[in-house]
Amino acid sequence: MAKLNKRKERVKTLCYHTLVALLGIVMIYPILWLAGSSFKATDELFTRVSSIFPANPTFDHYISGWKGFGNISFTIFYKNTFIITGISTIAVVFSSAFIAYGFARLNFPFKKFWFACMLSTLMLPIQIQLIPQYLFFSHLGLVNSFTPVILPNFFGKAFYIFMIVQFIRGIPRTLDEAAEIDGCNRFRTFFTIIMPLCTPAMITAAIFAFYWTWGEFLMPLIYLNNPKLYTVSLALRSFADPSGMTNWGAIYAMSFLSLVPVFVIFILLQRYLIEGISTEGIKG
Amino acid sequence: MIRIKKHSVRDAVDGYIFILPWLIGFLGLTLVPMAATLYLGFTDYDMFSNPEFVGLKNFVKMFSEDNRYWKSVRATLYFAFFSVPSKLIFALMVALLLHNKRRGNYFYRALYYAPSVVGSSVAVAVMWREIFKPNGLVNAVLAVFRLPSNTVWLGDPRFAIWTLILLVVWQFGSPMLIFLAGLKQIPTELYESSSIDGAGPFRQFFRITLPLLTPIFLFNLIMQMITGFTAFTQAFIVTEGAPLDTTNFYALYLYRRAFENFQMGYGSAMAMVLLITIALMTGLVFKSSPYWVHYEAE
Amino acid sequence: MRKLVFLLLIALVAMPLFAGGQSEGGQSGKDEMSIIWWGSQNRHDRTIKTIDLYMEENPNVDITYEFAGWGDYWTKVTTMAAGGMLPDVMQQDYAKLAEWVDKGLMEPLDGYVDKGIIDFSDVEESALSGGRIGGDLYAVNIGLNSMCIVLDVDKFEEAGIPLPDQNWTWKEFKEIALEIHEKLGIYGMGHDLLNEQMWKALYLSNGEWAYTDDGTQLGYTDDSVLEEYCNMVLELMEAGAVPSRDVELALYHNKGVEVVAMVNGDSAMEMMWSNQLTALSTAAGPNRNFYMTHLPRLTKDGPSANYLKPGQFLSVSSRSKNPERAADFINFFTNDLGANEILLAERGVPIAAHIREGLKPMLEPASVIAFDFITRVSTDSSPLPQPDPVGYSDLLQNVYIPEFWDPMAYGLISVQEAIANLRSGAEKILTRN
Repeated sequence: MAKLNKRKERVKTLCYHTLVALLGIVMIYPILWLAGSSFKATDELFTRVSSIFPANPTFDHYISGWKGFGNISFTIFYKNTFIITGISTIAVVFSSAFIAYGFARLNFPFKKFWFACMLSTLMLPIQIQLIPQYLFFSHLGLVNSFTPVILPNFFGKAFYIFMIVQFIRGIPRTLDEAAEIDGCNRFRTFFTIIMPLCTPAMITAAIFAFYWTWGEFLMPLIYLNNPKLYTVSLALRSFADPSGMTNWGAIYAMSFLSLVPVFVIFILLQRYLIEGISTEGIKG
Repeated sequence: MIRIKKHSVRDAVDGYIFILPWLIGFLGLTLVPMAATLYLGFTDYDMFSNPEFVGLKNFVKMFSEDNRYWKSVRATLYFAFFSVPSKLIFALMVALLLHNKRRGNYFYRALYYAPSVVGSSVAVAVMWREIFKPNGLVNAVLAVFRLPSNTVWLGDPRFAIWTLILLVVWQFGSPMLIFLAGLKQIPTELYESSSIDGAGPFRQFFRITLPLLTPIFLFNLIMQMITGFTAFTQAFIVTEGAPLDTTNFYALYLYRRAFENFQMGYGSAMAMVLLITIALMTGLVFKSSPYWVHYEAE
Repeated sequence: MRKLVFLLLIALVAMPLFAGGQSEGGQSGKDEMSIIWWGSQNRHDRTIKTIDLYMEENPNVDITYEFAGWGDYWTKVTTMAAGGMLPDVMQQDYAKLAEWVDKGLMEPLDGYVDKGIIDFSDVEESALSGGRIGGDLYAVNIGLNSMCIVLDVDKFEEAGIPLPDQNWTWKEFKEIALEIHEKLGIYGMGHDLLNEQMWKALYLSNGEWAYTDDGTQLGYTDDSVLEEYCNMVLELMEAGAVPSRDVELALYHNKGVEVVAMVNGDSAMEMMWSNQLTALSTAAGPNRNFYMTHLPRLTKDGPSANYLKPGQFLSVSSRSKNPERAADFINFFTNDLGANEILLAERGVPIAAHIREGLKPMLEPASVIAFDFITRVSTDSSPLPQPDPVGYSDLLQNVYIPEFWDPMAYGLISVQEAIANLRSGAEKILTRN
């Protein structure tokens, strides 16, 4: 009987892995294609488009792509992007969690109004706000440095705030109350109880923040006026000119390379999602 | 009585301290450009000369003269209507599938998140065209099953939008991750005690998992709705609105009018209508939420 | 732990106060100038090297530069212009020039030519006229171009068809396209035969132009020329000799030169700008033979459908604080052989005759074909028509494509209806000028 159960379990595991892996291939196929293409010789890029495997693998595109433009190589673009993305991510995650606690747990006048205002910032397409924002920021003397790109992250962003609010609302209020009875003020409650409990949410926010800031190009495009300040995503978009000659091999190579940091961050951070801290905390 | 009052005053002060960073950012950086955009909707503004106040002219043109406007409304509604639920359901299903302690899930999650990482790079556009071209992968697979396999997916007004819907559903990584984090937050004790009470996995799912996940579901729903209605990138990089404007999404059309045709006033007016529409729909969802969202805390 | 988080937060909040405000450069006492262009990696590299060369020759000058891809470029410069912060020199496009001049954003350059800062002694007037709006020079052509038909010589041989004469007609074109399709099973001709360039070229070879000189209405009265042409294209589509509209949109339209059908040997003729052949032949790989010829015309001895078009311009911003320096840089771009040896005609054929001669020995085969073609066109072309009028992008995006081209090519409306739509829609936009 036990043996039969074990076999049943094994078949179940096998089915599970087959299903999940098959779906996984569909998911990853385009990335494999991108990786494969980045190693194809230039003439092969367009004459053998659909193939994943390069006939004569070459590393040339990585070399010619990394050189960048003039004497500004991807070393500089990566450095810029890491600075912008690093600071922005940390800033936006902590500030958003802080703000979220206020919205989730405290009652104050006009709370609903402010919350609605916050969500409404997501509803106006960013493209249409570019010009008013540019005029306003240049009025404040903020143009042509990392500041206009990084600064807004210090004030939290609606997406993350709202997300963390929803997570905090899922945490039993008894925990806060217990802490307050113990004499904690609101700030201590936030830092010692709530923040550790919404680690999964903050980690998730950090993954998104990193990826979105990494890929963001509209703000860098408008506000960075010196190629030495360009980010990776902006540099990637400077490769293509539909009416001229485009080094597609370099685009593929650099696009693929630009995915690596995002992936690394994801893999590093998702560990915390699996281990999770919340369950242990709630026992209290 | 007095105590309660004191309590609420403290709440109010603390509340404002907590949201202060956001408030500063909103009043100092976001509000002015937003308000300006809304004002520009009532003007003729080519971006170089001073805006000229024209009252409701832009709205009249939008609603009564502009065929392409209504096509873009239709395309956007269609897109949002199909892509938002599919993406959410798919994300939830995969999150449930991967939320267990089986070996390899670590790896699978990375795999499933991968499409979301490629995002909107030009490479995605090229690849998507490659997959859906007449003799591409999709038609090859259909041929194996002896189904009609000569569709020009990206050029056919009936199907082009579906390739974009597929594209966003395929990039389901963010809602999936949020669901996973939500599942993570559900205390395992709840499952343990209900197991003792003899509840099966189905009952557990409907009595524990689903209700406790509703706050997260609400979040994902609203965010995906907003993203759906403001969809831009997919159409911008893959189809450019073609064929026959069937993928000319609202935000794309608005951007073109504003930036490429120098009609920033008209674009701003379109943006205002979009803002009001989304706000109303979001408001409706929030109003309905007490009936189906379960908050542990309240 | 808590303290650490607190410190971190404080540090983060304080950071932008220190991080910002490092504006670079500063008052070095140097002659400062800025420039912006669009392009691909190849162009960025060459342009930056050219700028470096200029600064080497003029050590008192400090040039700051920016670049972007085509799509981003216009978002960026439009925003900058709205903020009154355009660089001194910007790359301009023929289709956008009139609009930018109309908004008062560009500086007229005739004064700098008169002062001798810009030297056009070696440049023909025909190469300059594209930059003139209402008689004033607003933009200097930095690469001549012309619309052409590229022929795959090997496919023509395979089909046993001789290469067409340079004064071939649409009738001959149609027969060739059909014959190639019949014999080889490939497209006779690639995509976009109905695009707005062809509409304009058609009326050019009828001795007219799409618009009147003042750009307030359509420049032709006889719609039957267009009707006949559209019928021909639809017939070719029907026969499979050119891609149908759905295939065109799915695979070729606006997707870049590298993916046109000819690259994979799927078509024997392609329509493109002459400077695009380099990209085509790079993508197609070695051992291919291409030839470039004129656009077909209406009648064999009628006017040419070709004109020499400025591929790109350099313009000076009307807000420039240093327009003389900007003009001098444009002169350098136009007349300096050293600069052009770096630029290597990547933007199109240079306008100054001595530069063209000087470059010839350095060019790769595809560029030689383009150079020869431009030489042939310069003796057999129609005079350059007026630039596209204000409202052109509106006309193209909101009338030409959605009201005329698409519904007609998808068979939703008849050719006559489509042409009527084009006329009424266009006149509505143009009469505003």
